[in-house]
Amino acid sequence: MKITLNINQIEIKIKVNPGDRLLDTLRNLGYLGAKSGGCVRGECGACTVLLDGRSVNSCMLLAAQAEGHLIETIEAQGQHPDQGWKKTTGLDSIQQAFVETGAIQCGYCTPAMVLAAEALLRDNPKPSEEEVRDALSGVLCRCTGYVKPVQAILRAGAFLRGETVPAIGEKPQVSEEWLPEFRDETRLPDKEDDKGLILSGILPRLIPTPESKGRHTVGHPETKVDAMKLVQGKPAFTADIKKPDMLIAKVLYSSVAHALIKRIDVSKARALPGVAAVLTWEDIPRVVYSTAGQSDPIPGPLDTFSLDKKVRFVGDRVAFVAAETAEIAEHALQLIEVEYEELPVIIDPRDAMKEDAAQIHDEPEFVNFAASDASKNLAAEIRIDIGDVDKGFNEADRIFEEEYVVQKVQLAHIEPHVVITYWDEDDRLVIRTSTQVPFHVRRIIAPVIGLPVKRIRVIKPRIGGAFGGKQEVLIEDVAAHLTIATGRPVLYEMTREEEFIASRSRHPMRIKLKTGVKKDGTITANEMICLSNTGAYGCHALTVAGNTGHKSMALYVGDGKYRQSPNIRFCADAVYTNTPPSGAYRGYGVPQGAWAVERQMEAIVLEMGFDPIDFRLKNTLRPGELHPFSTAWSEGREPKPEVVNTIGLEDCVAQGKAAVDWESKWGNQSWHEIPGKPFLRRGIGLAIVMQGTSIPYLDMGGASIKLNDDGTFNLLVGATDLGTGSDTVLGQMAAEVLGVPLEDMIVYSSDTDLTPFDKGAYASSTTYISGAAVTKAAKKVAERIRLRAARIFSERGAEIDAEDIKLVNRSAVTLAGQAISIEEIAMDALHHTDQEQIMAVASHVSPVSPPPFAAQFAEVTVDIETGQTTVDKLVMVVDAGVIINPVTASGQVEGGMVQALGYAVCEEMVYDAKGKARETDFLDYHIFRADEMPEMKTIFVETFEPSHPFGVKSVSEIPIDGVAPAVGNAILDACGVSLKEIPAVPEKIWRGLKETQQI
Amino acid sequence: MITTYRRPKTFDKAVKLLSDKSLNAVALAGGTFIKNFSEKPVTVVDLQDLGLDVFEVVNQEVEAGSMVTMQQLCESDVANNALSRAIMLEAGKNVRNTMVLAEHLASCDGRSPLTTALLALDVSMTWQPGNIRVQLGDHLPVRNHESPGLFVSGLSWKHDIWLAFEYVARSPLDRPIVCVALAQWPSGRTRLALGGYGDAPIIAFDGPEPAGIEYAAKDAFYDADDEWASAEYRQDVAVTLARRCLDYIQVSQTSEGEV
Repeated sequence: MKITLNINQIEIKIKVNPGDRLLDTLRNLGYLGAKSGGCVRGECGACTVLLDGRSVNSCMLLAAQAEGHLIETIEAQGQHPDQGWKKTTGLDSIQQAFVETGAIQCGYCTPAMVLAAEALLRDNPKPSEEEVRDALSGVLCRCTGYVKPVQAILRAGAFLRGETVPAIGEKPQVSEEWLPEFRDETRLPDKEDDKGLILSGILPRLIPTPESKGRHTVGHPETKVDAMKLVQGKPAFTADIKKPDMLIAKVLYSSVAHALIKRIDVSKARALPGVAAVLTWEDIPRVVYSTAGQSDPIPGPLDTFSLDKKVRFVGDRVAFVAAETAEIAEHALQLIEVEYEELPVIIDPRDAMKEDAAQIHDEPEFVNFAASDASKNLAAEIRIDIGDVDKGFNEADRIFEEEYVVQKVQLAHIEPHVVITYWDEDDRLVIRTSTQVPFHVRRIIAPVIGLPVKRIRVIKPRIGGAFGGKQEVLIEDVAAHLTIATGRPVLYEMTREEEFIASRSRHPMRIKLKTGVKKDGTITANEMICLSNTGAYGCHALTVAGNTGHKSMALYVGDGKYRQSPNIRFCADAVYTNTPPSGAYRGYGVPQGAWAVERQMEAIVLEMGFDPIDFRLKNTLRPGELHPFSTAWSEGREPKPEVVNTIGLEDCVAQGKAAVDWESKWGNQSWHEIPGKPFLRRGIGLAIVMQGTSIPYLDMGGASIKLNDDGTFNLLVGATDLGTGSDTVLGQMAAEVLGVPLEDMIVYSSDTDLTPFDKGAYASSTTYISGAAVTKAAKKVAERIRLRAARIFSERGAEIDAEDIKLVNRSAVTLAGQAISIEEIAMDALHHTDQEQIMAVASHVSPVSPPPFAAQFAEVTVDIETGQTTVDKLVMVVDAGVIINPVTASGQVEGGMVQALGYAVCEEMVYDAKGKARETDFLDYHIFRADEMPEMKTIFVETFEPSHPFGVKSVSEIPIDGVAPAVGNAILDACGVSLKEIPAVPEKIWRGLKETQQI
Repeated sequence: MITTYRRPKTFDKAVKLLSDKSLNAVALAGGTFIKNFSEKPVTVVDLQDLGLDVFEVVNQEVEAGSMVTMQQLCESDVANNALSRAIMLEAGKNVRNTMVLAEHLASCDGRSPLTTALLALDVSMTWQPGNIRVQLGDHLPVRNHESPGLFVSGLSWKHDIWLAFEYVARSPLDRPIVCVALAQWPSGRTRLALGGYGDAPIIAFDGPEPAGIEYAAKDAFYDADDEWASAEYRQDVAVTLARRCLDYIQVSQTSEGEV
């Protein structure tokens, strides 16, 4: 049918099918700012457009319905101000505010938020924060925690009203009292503007370390290098390109949890017009591999096939289809006939290793790693004894034993897994994919699809959120097999339902803890026995379980002689079940361990009458001490001793205590009660946590830097910016060394043909490992620039030693103040004298994994009649070393805390006895909306980590570790219910209240 | 599969299209569930041009067109705090901007806070053709099997009713596990609706005075056991929330506050 759409005030006559969605129609017309989150009920809002000025989901409207209405897309907002000879008015005020405030992380939902803000501010030029949050309530964001988007809209409103808004971009001016000896102070900066920015949450409160002062870009809240394109909704993501003749892929997923495929008939599907290929296990090579995107050798079993004759969970793959349209591909799936021979199902991990349990992996190709044993459904086994644990328990005055349970949760990145594959003109397979690990994708997929590595190119565009889920080589093979089968480009994009049933999740675990404590509060021994459910495949089974103990157990070493020789036992079994595979998810095992350990610490505190903070700090690791696990375990590789040099934990606790006013609340009965609401109780709790920063002796990052004619630089990194801002902070480090502003760094990541190797974005390594590589490369380039500058000075009659030249303000400057611009040096090098390309490549691997530390505080209100719990406030104080960019770093903490909040109170994936998922969308699987957020505050206590040139550690994962136990401890404080299991849903608390006879 | 799209300008044309069995036609009221159509060819009849997106209050009776969106209702004077809370809990703003009342009532499940509130208000639906009035409470249990007409043209309920709404959920705006809406008429008539469970919210109590609502709440959830909560929990919490709703209404009436 022919319709006329008014898009951004332009009438467009087009032909559509009656069932075409507005979203698809807009994208086909080139309005690519509207994104798909794969949902079917408009839950995510990534596809937002304005219809007659109202924010609506374009995925839920037919194109025909929109006829006669004004459709406005992000493309009608502002654009880049300088387009060569053509100048524009630039970004509009809302977009500008999003850029300035750091409201953009992955950017996938940014156009939607900008449009929602546009609709709001047109009608309501001076909205309250509550009204802003309501305007954003239709757009889910998994990255930001909504803190900065809300502030961006308030800021834009103020600007549009003609009010003065404070500049962002300078490092907050802080008084000297913030130096270490005065760290218990909680004073705000001297400048009024900075106070406002901190109080609003745009900037974090930051207690600097002296070594971080005096930088021109490192430490400053620079705007993200990718913000301009993301805020315009430019076609930056995987699915934003369209190849000629491109097919759409769909996958038939298993409807049963454990079965042999007795018969599969695809003849009807193949005969359907528009179907280009249908592949089953009979059609492709049988190559065993692991989908875990890790360095070689993968520390886990090889137990996966692209397609197999056996299915192991509801959601396992049965067949691939490629067709001209998505509708035809879906129809083809329905025409595939599958006859299953069903096998016994294991859902509960406690049943997996029983003698009569069905064997989930009985394939002969299965390749063990370390102690994995397919015959026992054992994907990984860890047995670690540090010190003399039994002696430690014998020396304790009290023994505490408890079992804790943590659930399976989804990563819920708003951009689903998506890939496009095609043959290029050199018959090389190009894989454009939303991945955290492009180099691992290339290495791992090569044998699976029968191509040598050299004939594969992996391109990583912008990523719409990942959080570990795209550390998996999950779907690249689907599109690749279909491109090989058809010779045509293929797009495969998972739906939201497929994300729930067929992608990866956080490992659910049952954790038994045993702790020995002396009367004086000294921990004498700790033992953790962990049963981890890896699901149907063993990806990340060993390493996630290992981190559960490695980080959470290492934090508490004991005091006195136990500090010198801690007694720690950690045992873990990661078992196969017929549930969707677990995998990498931000925190990587540590949130599971932290829940158990920090709830255990609180139980000890209450039982023995200790102060919760004093008890913890008495027993935690201190600077200069050996990481207790470093001699025992290193992700399946040879362990080597590591000393932990920087621990800002005491300062973190002190700052957090002051920020939440701990002293006036803890133990104060009157604060716990709410006048006029006798059924409500307030509670406050804390948890302290520790993460890691990269994997020592293994994680390698590379970078290259090239000088251009105009004195700017290309920085090419293999590291993958998931939206975290890593491209920006890597650029800042290079710019710092090279004496140029960040805008002179053209940062590109990543492409296996163009950029140096980097293991990818995981293990909290990018700022630390890749940043060190960038710094090394920049130093090499700086050295070449100084040498050439010295020669130019010499030619001009001034004999200057290159070592006496500094690079500042885009110039090479002598001690006497003589200066040559870097542009001039570049022109000299490239065109004039002894021509050379000034460039350098460097890489970095670290012998240590310096842990960041944090104190997490939570305040809750519990309804003691219903068990309903509301988290009112979250404060996290983090020692992440030196903060390269306070805006991006605090954005990491805010977003991480909100993911962790969901982990604490509402997110879980539940399966029935046949392995069918309860949650398949964002209606049943609730992630927090903008209009239901607690107050959140982020504070950084800087330390200077000596193993990094700028003193950094990591910030990306630790925010997710402490919220759940802090909330659990706050619930205990509020109502006396000691939860052992999360999420803290109302009925669990209600039952606890009944058990304690409070209701 | 949607094979034909029609947008009639008149009631008669809409009725004619929807009556034509050869078209396999369904009313498209907002579009929020366009993905849910079967593989069979379907003609969708878009009702947006029929002028059903307005409401008015006549003689203390709210008359809302079936194409009134959730957000329109939320922003209107006819929605008191309780009804607005239920709407805000129902969905984020984008969905509220497009989801119309008729469509919502056709597609919601038992966890819907808005339907629970409308059920307590004893909303009546007007079906076409024939202006057939059916109470929401009578329609909900049979909505998947029986249809009084081809499409809903309007909803109506008394404006001078006190309404209170309480719920329990995993987070402040998660879908409720238990929700309770209590309406009280000037005559003293009291009507209690429960949601958070099953295919549709249910009426637990409708009587000339509130005495007995707690027992009714408990009884109504005697088998409300599912993967989200136990019946034991729902029964207990429904009683608590019903009591709170009643307290709220009584306090509001005493202070002559908002209806």
